Amino acid sequence: MIKSLEDILFVALAIVGMIQHIFVIAKNAFREAVRDRILYNLIVFVLLITAAAVLLGDLTAGQESHVIINLGLSAILIFGVFIAIFVGVSLVWKEIEKKTVYSIFSKPIGRGEFIVGKYLGLCVTLFVNVLVMGAGLTLALLYVGGGKFVGGVWAAVLLIFFELTIMTAVAIMFSSFSTPALSALLTFLIFVIGHFSYSMLELATALGSRTATFVFTAVYYLLPNLSNFSFISNTANGQIAPLAMLVGALIYAVAFNLILISITIMVFSRRNFK
Amino acid sequence: MIATSKLKNILLPLVIIASGFAATTSLDGYLKRAIPELPADYADGDPTFDIAKMRGFTLGLDGLIADWYWMRSLQYLGGKIAAKEGFINIDDLREFNLRLLYPYLNSATDLDPQFMAAYSFGAIVLPAIDAEKAIAIAKKGIANNPADWQLYQHLGYIYWKLKRYDEASETYEQGSLVTGAPPFMKMMSAAMKTEGGSRNNARAIYRQMLESTDENIQNTAALRLKQIAALDEIEAINNALVKFKETSGRCTDVLSEIHPQLAKITLPDAHDFRINKANQLVDPTDAPYLFDVNTCAVQLDPKKTGIPFR
Repeated sequence: MIKSLEDILFVALAIVGMIQHIFVIAKNAFREAVRDRILYNLIVFVLLITAAAVLLGDLTAGQESHVIINLGLSAILIFGVFIAIFVGVSLVWKEIEKKTVYSIFSKPIGRGEFIVGKYLGLCVTLFVNVLVMGAGLTLALLYVGGGKFVGGVWAAVLLIFFELTIMTAVAIMFSSFSTPALSALLTFLIFVIGHFSYSMLELATALGSRTATFVFTAVYYLLPNLSNFSFISNTANGQIAPLAMLVGALIYAVAFNLILISITIMVFSRRNFK
Repeated sequence: MIATSKLKNILLPLVIIASGFAATTSLDGYLKRAIPELPADYADGDPTFDIAKMRGFTLGLDGLIADWYWMRSLQYLGGKIAAKEGFINIDDLREFNLRLLYPYLNSATDLDPQFMAAYSFGAIVLPAIDAEKAIAIAKKGIANNPADWQLYQHLGYIYWKLKRYDEASETYEQGSLVTGAPPFMKMMSAAMKTEGGSRNNARAIYRQMLESTDENIQNTAALRLKQIAALDEIEAINNALVKFKETSGRCTDVLSEIHPQLAKITLPDAHDFRINKANQLVDPTDAPYLFDVNTCAVQLDPKKTGIPFR
């Protein structure tokens, strides 16, 4: 009995220790991103959205809110994807290249903890990014009198963040076994295919080709279906993502992130740094 | 120790991956149902940009954006027509509420004033939606490209469709003065005044349009020529049926009975009647004519013919 209690305590302490390790690595990954001036993109975004709010009035035939929502949410997605790709692929690679990975792993930190920490650190960076960009978009909308769209915009921002967490996991997965340039390219391809996969599956089914249907069905289920997070046009048309969709998208993103991080840890655990 | 390590490094991730895929596969269907459809009138939403004012802000991508508007106009029309079941009267497309077709074409030609395909498409399709908009886009084409005689032909065609023969004649006349304009333009100017809405006139217009390099125009002209040929054939067959009834005192039971009489008839464009393997008279789209013994007349079979629909 006492032995069992000791075991439980040991496991509990190990979990707490693991969480602490992950937290420290995540915190440092976030600090590193801030030091690398990643958040400077927010200035570009603010300039873009301010210019849009002020200048578009005359060009949009009375559709300022529509254009600002489309422009703003698309910019949040694109900026976020570029950060996820370019920062994501270099997070692990930089540690290996600068040999700092040796000093990290000389401490009682597991490779899995390292990967999860790095991943969460970048997710926090992206969260701060989308939060500030969402606030900028809200202010721009209020400026042009589109206050009724604000709720929908925040729901869409949340969906974009879910999508970005998947892109971050994809970038880190590729960077665990490939060069940064190739990882960036592959991650971008996953972003493109992820948005096209449903349409390609529909096209293959319509064409009636068995081979194409088989291939695209495999692609559809093996790669993340990012169209599940696309709600920009709907938001611009006054719709608000329902709670069922938000919860479904959250679970989908968590499940895919677990898959990708597990693959990354499996690959990274076998990597020889000598 | 090794077993624990294997469990932690291989088995656990594999279980997570397998469970993850099981979850995402089943969640995908759920999400498809949870995502709301775009509003039904989404495709008909007002244009977002005033493109005329956008020139100069397109980063030099005027042509690309014009192409996008052009493709959007094709998809907009095609999508609405494809969604409709049954007959489509190509002379009157107002039931489709194609209110954005003109703005799309107008935007494409604002960005690329030499976009001939957009002017041609507008001239062919817009008369069935909004004649004044059709005239507006053809006139815009002429204003932007005064040296292109085909645009005068398009405008003349629109006036002719609207039975505004004097304006049609004047437009063909102006077009005939453009360098490189074919003699057809001069001829049409005169024909509009003398025989305005005649079938011969229509045939001449569509034959000329058949020589266009624009596939949309070619297809429309080919369909229209088949329509005219079918009208000629129906007229000749019904005349033959009347003659048969006068001589025999009854209407024929089967059309094959009048085949010999039809063989002697010369149709206006000198083509022959066509008979399929089942010995049935067929229209120019190979659909058998519908024969009604009670009225003793033939007509196009709306279920089978490709004329004048689709």
